[in-house]
Amino acid sequence: MARSLYIGLITIVLAFTGAPALAAAKVDGDKLLREIDRSLNPESYEAYRKLINIEPDGRKKEYVLFTVKKGRDKLIALFLDPPSEKGRATLRLGDNMWLYIPGVGKPIRITSLQSVVGGVFNNSDILTLDYSVEYKAQKVEEQGKDYVLDLKARTGSVAYDRLVMRVDRKTLLPAEIRAYAASGLLIKTLHFSQIKDFGGGIVRPSVLETDSPLYKGYKSVMIWARIRARKLPDEVFTLNYLPRAGELR
Amino acid sequence: MRGSTPGLRRAAFGLCLLVSAGAAAQETYSFDVSAFEKKPFELSGYGELRGEAFELDQDAALYQLGFFDREPRSDFERGSGTLELRGLFRHGDTMAQFVGHSTYQDDFTGSAQDSRLYEAYVSHQPDSGTRYDLGKKTLSWGKGYAWNPVGFIQRPKDPNDPDLARQGFVIAGADFVRSFSGNLKTLAFTPLVVPTYGDANADFGGPLDTGDHANPAAKLYLLYKDTDIDLMVLGQGSRSARYGLDFSRNISSNFEIHGEWAHIGRTSRPVIGPAGSITPRESGATSYLLGLRYLTENELTTIIEYYHDGAGYSEDELSSIYAAVHDAYAQYQLSADPTALSRLRTAFQPVLMQPNPGRNYLYLRMSQNQPFDILYFTPALTVITNLDDHSYSVAPELTYTGVSNLELRFRVFWLKGDRLTDFGEKQNDRRAELRVRYYF
Repeated sequence: MARSLYIGLITIVLAFTGAPALAAAKVDGDKLLREIDRSLNPESYEAYRKLINIEPDGRKKEYVLFTVKKGRDKLIALFLDPPSEKGRATLRLGDNMWLYIPGVGKPIRITSLQSVVGGVFNNSDILTLDYSVEYKAQKVEEQGKDYVLDLKARTGSVAYDRLVMRVDRKTLLPAEIRAYAASGLLIKTLHFSQIKDFGGGIVRPSVLETDSPLYKGYKSVMIWARIRARKLPDEVFTLNYLPRAGELR
Repeated sequence: MRGSTPGLRRAAFGLCLLVSAGAAAQETYSFDVSAFEKKPFELSGYGELRGEAFELDQDAALYQLGFFDREPRSDFERGSGTLELRGLFRHGDTMAQFVGHSTYQDDFTGSAQDSRLYEAYVSHQPDSGTRYDLGKKTLSWGKGYAWNPVGFIQRPKDPNDPDLARQGFVIAGADFVRSFSGNLKTLAFTPLVVPTYGDANADFGGPLDTGDHANPAAKLYLLYKDTDIDLMVLGQGSRSARYGLDFSRNISSNFEIHGEWAHIGRTSRPVIGPAGSITPRESGATSYLLGLRYLTENELTTIIEYYHDGAGYSEDELSSIYAAVHDAYAQYQLSADPTALSRLRTAFQPVLMQPNPGRNYLYLRMSQNQPFDILYFTPALTVITNLDDHSYSVAPELTYTGVSNLELRFRVFWLKGDRLTDFGEKQNDRRAELRVRYYF
């Protein structure tokens, strides 16, 4: 009886003090991150996205992208609109990124920190791979209804050195991601919202809003539409196929 | 841990809908994708207006060569309009594409209009790893930004405008691609011919080539250990045989390196001989390029390229040509006999009017993306230096793309160099240019 009372007291104390940390300590951060990836997208899929850059005076500039992804590290993003960007296609194979511009006629290597479209989004935000491919979980904490994951870039070629990701514990969908440079500088904050059922078992946020202390007053919004699982041959994800990426629609 | 059962997941979805309703109430975004479905026919392009002001150097060899039989001038303006149309027609696995380019130009010499079909070809792709091309197509071999020594079957770039579309050649070619896992990720083989029969590709071999040739060529591409590698060859025909290779690789998320190497079996260029006569200099030539692209944390992009053109003029060769022009011009002013200048113009103007006729160059371009939190605004500075005679051109530039589909670009060129140097003997000392381009 005394032993049970003692265990009960410890349980109550832990519940109000260190219990979340203990519980979180049992969570395999990298496994959790892989599950977060799968709650966002199938491993191989196609999707249409709209990017909106909003200036402090409310002016907007919009871009429409068609994206196909295969496996852990193969991805193509093709610009469908506006006409000034139409036909531009970016290919990502792991840490390698290329940009194809119709007038130039050949894909050129680009870096993940560059911005293809201007605004707050950079190439890494547009050519997003699974988080578990690029980041390793250093720490997981439970805070209220959320997990908070502290993620460290696996290599120096990843755009952001560190991410702090707040994830709903029940749905495993991200609500907010803060992206930091190696210097500790906060580069941008990504806010996920408007959860939508896309069909085929895909239920995820359809809107991603981004702001950055580097661009005060500016905001970028990414809207997802028509995400669906799709299998494609590996040869699609090559420089030779990139000029024909529009045929994948 | 994860709500993996359908019931739990749907319940969580409902809960999240309620939670996210608050955020949605602030601003709701919508996106209708039906407008972006694939269509059988697509047409796009741009219209452009360009105004240029030139300040001429009346003591420069290229001014004397170009203006000796015209009214002397210290400056002139030029206005031009361009329309470029891109069309695409799809039918099953086959696609037809064209690019048409028309320019109207007006300056002190009068007005001129020029329309060309840059591309018009048919592609058939039976599967994702196989493609066949037939027709006029622009190929872009090489990794260099400003120059491409391995660009064996393409028209040369203008380093001052390397992103401009260029006219292609009539080809028949194929593309075979295979992907692998492991260190070798992609292997692609691209064989083709550039036939010069009748009027087809009449300018491929230059004005002296009148023979019929198949001009076979091939390129082998590998993505090996995260490095792009190309090996290319052009067989003997309208142009002498040549072979080369290129590579590019990302060192980190903000640092890329690239390079090209090419050997041409035989090149011919006119030079001034020991007795002052114009003689052809014939030799093999090895050319190469090494470059890098670096992006700082505050988004300053720097491109640096070193280019050695084995067929280019050495410092002594260039200065002898310019000295010969100056001598002939002085003679013409005394005698009014244009014979010597006309002969020099015929021999050298086509070569010297190329942007970089010398042997060793350094290209530097720095562009700052969106400084002072001004979105879509990009100032840039481009410097091209002839490393042999230390003459150079400096071109500051401002680009604004904040209005949808409209691009505004203003830039100024300053050319500096002593007498008898590459940039010191160009026709103009300064040039200002305003370009307004609208995409549709």
